[in-house]
Amino acid sequence: MPKVLVIGAISEGDLTGTSLEAVTAALELAEAMGAEVFGGLIGDECGRAAATFATAGLAEVFVADHARHAPYVAEFHVAAAQAIVRRCQPDVILAPSTGETSEWVPILSARLKAAMASACTRVGFEGGHLVAKRPVCGGAVQGEYVLNGALRIATLAPATYEATMLSEPCPISPVELPDVQARVKVIEQLNDQEGSGPRLRTARTVVSGGLGIGSRENWSLIEDAAAALGAAVGATRAVVELGWVPHAQQVGFSGQKIRPELYLAIGISGAVHHMAGLAGAKTIVAINKDPEASIFRTAHFGVVGDAKEVVPAFVTRVKELRAQQA
Amino acid sequence: MHIVVTIKQVVDPNTPSVLLKIGKDGVSLELPVGMSQIMNGYDANAVEAALALKDKHGGTVTVLSVGDETSKNCLRRAIGMGADRGVHIAGPTGLACDSAVIAKLLGAAVRKLGFVDLVLCGRQASDTDAAQVPFLLAGELDLPVISPVKNIQGMDDDSAIVDRIGEGCTQRLQVKLPALLGISNEINKPRPAPLKGVMLAKKAEIPTWTHSDLGIEAPQPAMTLRRLYIEPPVETCAELIAAESARAAGRALADRLRQEGLI
Repeated sequence: MPKVLVIGAISEGDLTGTSLEAVTAALELAEAMGAEVFGGLIGDECGRAAATFATAGLAEVFVADHARHAPYVAEFHVAAAQAIVRRCQPDVILAPSTGETSEWVPILSARLKAAMASACTRVGFEGGHLVAKRPVCGGAVQGEYVLNGALRIATLAPATYEATMLSEPCPISPVELPDVQARVKVIEQLNDQEGSGPRLRTARTVVSGGLGIGSRENWSLIEDAAAALGAAVGATRAVVELGWVPHAQQVGFSGQKIRPELYLAIGISGAVHHMAGLAGAKTIVAINKDPEASIFRTAHFGVVGDAKEVVPAFVTRVKELRAQQA
Repeated sequence: MHIVVTIKQVVDPNTPSVLLKIGKDGVSLELPVGMSQIMNGYDANAVEAALALKDKHGGTVTVLSVGDETSKNCLRRAIGMGADRGVHIAGPTGLACDSAVIAKLLGAAVRKLGFVDLVLCGRQASDTDAAQVPFLLAGELDLPVISPVKNIQGMDDDSAIVDRIGEGCTQRLQVKLPALLGISNEINKPRPAPLKGVMLAKKAEIPTWTHSDLGIEAPQPAMTLRRLYIEPPVETCAELIAAESARAAGRALADRLRQEGLI
């Protein structure tokens, strides 16, 4: 029976939601291929993540647990992945696309001489071929690729599949790791500064600002609205490039891909690049003074008006409503 | 010190998406009339990083580009900026580029050049956005690889210290040389080519190497591009909140979202 291997990602000791999205993709693929789905996990003290992963509807989870996996160094992750691949003997490998897998998975594909498609939004099995859909040209164009060869690898863009449901646990098997001399050494690791609000990637509500708010001074409109709603703050590429906010807050094709329940886009025109980060957003609300802005064609609610007038009144009313509720 | 920089020519990523059309073959882009291609932005950063190292430590900078004859234009731009020489490698262009094919051609070309201390690639091309060539090329050359790099902190004969953009962090890493670095745009602002450089670049001899010149078989793609298409946006017909003033509309929006249970 063919095998699909999902290599999960860990964040602060927990299995990431994107790993469970990758399992959904793998289960769909496995059904079309008549395959079984296995899990692989690489980390340091990954017991908690492995326990979650084992309940994701997999046949078995292979765990490469070692102190050398944190802080992350590509060569150790590649060695661990190779050890897992030797144990599992998969036909297809899937992994969520992260800052780490963007580095070590292509190195793995080079070692294994396997075809690889990066940051895919869909993977399917048609007539014996693995077909991957991935955006190109900043998300303006979609490409469909057939992956050639016996072993095929794809990383998956976040927020395109739903996370799989958890069920009964499967066996967890530790994997022996070879000695490896890494040619790259971590000297130090500095965490990026994050604001006090909720994290952009996992927030239920996100308030984002674009050039349409007029000036850097007006950025407080975005922060006030986010504070009133208990939301994370996002931004467009243009705003990040002007240096109004750090890159970590960029939502879009080359920034964060998110799936909030509510997305408030203020002064954002709705360029393809930006919307490519919002495929998973449930409700989009747009405030923009340009009635022709393309965001109004993909938003669910909209106000045509100047953000400087609309947003403060909106914030005041939100606070009133919240006070009434409390 | 010998630094090799790899460059790709791409459709200008600032081309408005309404001007992008799929070619009749269904697997290529039709360039808008009068629009020429440009050097991939991250590759321009890689050229600048190489020139900054050359300014500081001396040495030579060689630029390589796989593509059709027009790819020589971006090699000339790099030579205008200060690169010592350019080599064009005959191969696929644009979205037809398969990372495995490009890495095999570039790998053979770097081997033909002889000794190299550092290979710099842009972290990814803005057309395919695959971000694979740096890693596959490092595999071909058996070099350690780090990407995306936003700062080259220091370098001596045996190693380099660089800052990598990590997952929610910055990693300061030491890597043994020779090595390959995938360069991100945070690292620098590419210099404009001075007039003298432009004149020099115009006259520069740029040889073309084919896969036979490189002593390899024509590399086979790992993936086949089956179809390109443009997805129409999902039209939602936004419910527009109208009121007598912008302020009133702001208040009404809050009430409407509360009614929907969204806030």
